[in-house]
Amino acid sequence: MEFRLKNDLAEIQLLAEAVEVFGEENGLPPKVVFQVNLALEELLTNTINYGYPQGGENELTVKLELKNGKDLIVEIRDDAFPFNPLEIEPPDTGQDIEARSIGGLGIHLVRQMMDEIEYCWENDHNVLVMRKHIKLA
Amino acid sequence: MHIKDSKKDQATIVMIEGRLDSSNSGMLEKKITALLEAGETNFLFDFTAMDYISSAGLRVLLMAAKKSKANGGRVVLSALTENVKEVFDIAGFSSIFPIFATPGEALGSF
Repeated sequence: MEFRLKNDLAEIQLLAEAVEVFGEENGLPPKVVFQVNLALEELLTNTINYGYPQGGENELTVKLELKNGKDLIVEIRDDAFPFNPLEIEPPDTGQDIEARSIGGLGIHLVRQMMDEIEYCWENDHNVLVMRKHIKLA
Repeated sequence: MHIKDSKKDQATIVMIEGRLDSSNSGMLEKKITALLEAGETNFLFDFTAMDYISSAGLRVLLMAAKKSKANGGRVVLSALTENVKEVFDIAGFSSIFPIFATPGEALGSF
C-alpha cells in the first residue's frame, strides 16, 4: 500500500483509516494496526510540525508492505528538513508528575512498539523504515 | 473525537470518545484550560469510549495533572482500553496517574 499525504495533521486520520483497511485485508492483528498507526502519527506529527520551516504545501509518502506474511515493513519518505528522530534522547519515564516532561516521549513510544527502525538521508529525502514482526495466532 | 464534560460533587468528569491525536489534542487542551481557569481542581478522565491516544494527548493530560496538583486537586483516570493502557505503561504514565477500572470507582477515590 502506498499513501500520500500533505503536511497537514488532519490528514493523519485518513492515513490511519487506510492502514486499518490494509490490516483487515492482510489479516493483521488489531493491536499491530494500533501500534503502526501510533508510530506513524508520532513521526509524521514531528515532521509536519517542525520539518517545513519554509511553509507551503508538501507531500509525504507512507508505504506498507507485508513480507512473507510475517514481516510488516513501514516506510516514511519526505523532503522535509533533514532530521533523524533516532538521535532524540530517551525520556526518563520514572519521574513523578512535577518533574515529568513530554520531550522525547513520541519517539520512545515508536521505539518500544516497533521491532527495528532505520533512518537514512537519500536523494534529498528523509527515509525512515520500520519493521514489525507479526505473530499470527 | 468528542469531549463531554459534566460536574459532580467530587470532580469534573471529562469523557473522551474516539481518537485523541495531534490533530485534535489542542481542543482538549483549550477545554481543560477553561475548566482550570473556572476554578475546577479535581478531574476524572473517563476513557471508556476512547480507542486511541498518542503523545499529543499524553501531553495535555500531564499539563492537567501538573496544574491540578498546583491548585490542590488531582487528576484520575478510568476505564482504559487495552491498547490505550499499553501506551500509558510504555510512557511511564501508569505510575503517575491513579487508574480505576470504572468511572464509579474513580469518583469514589475523591
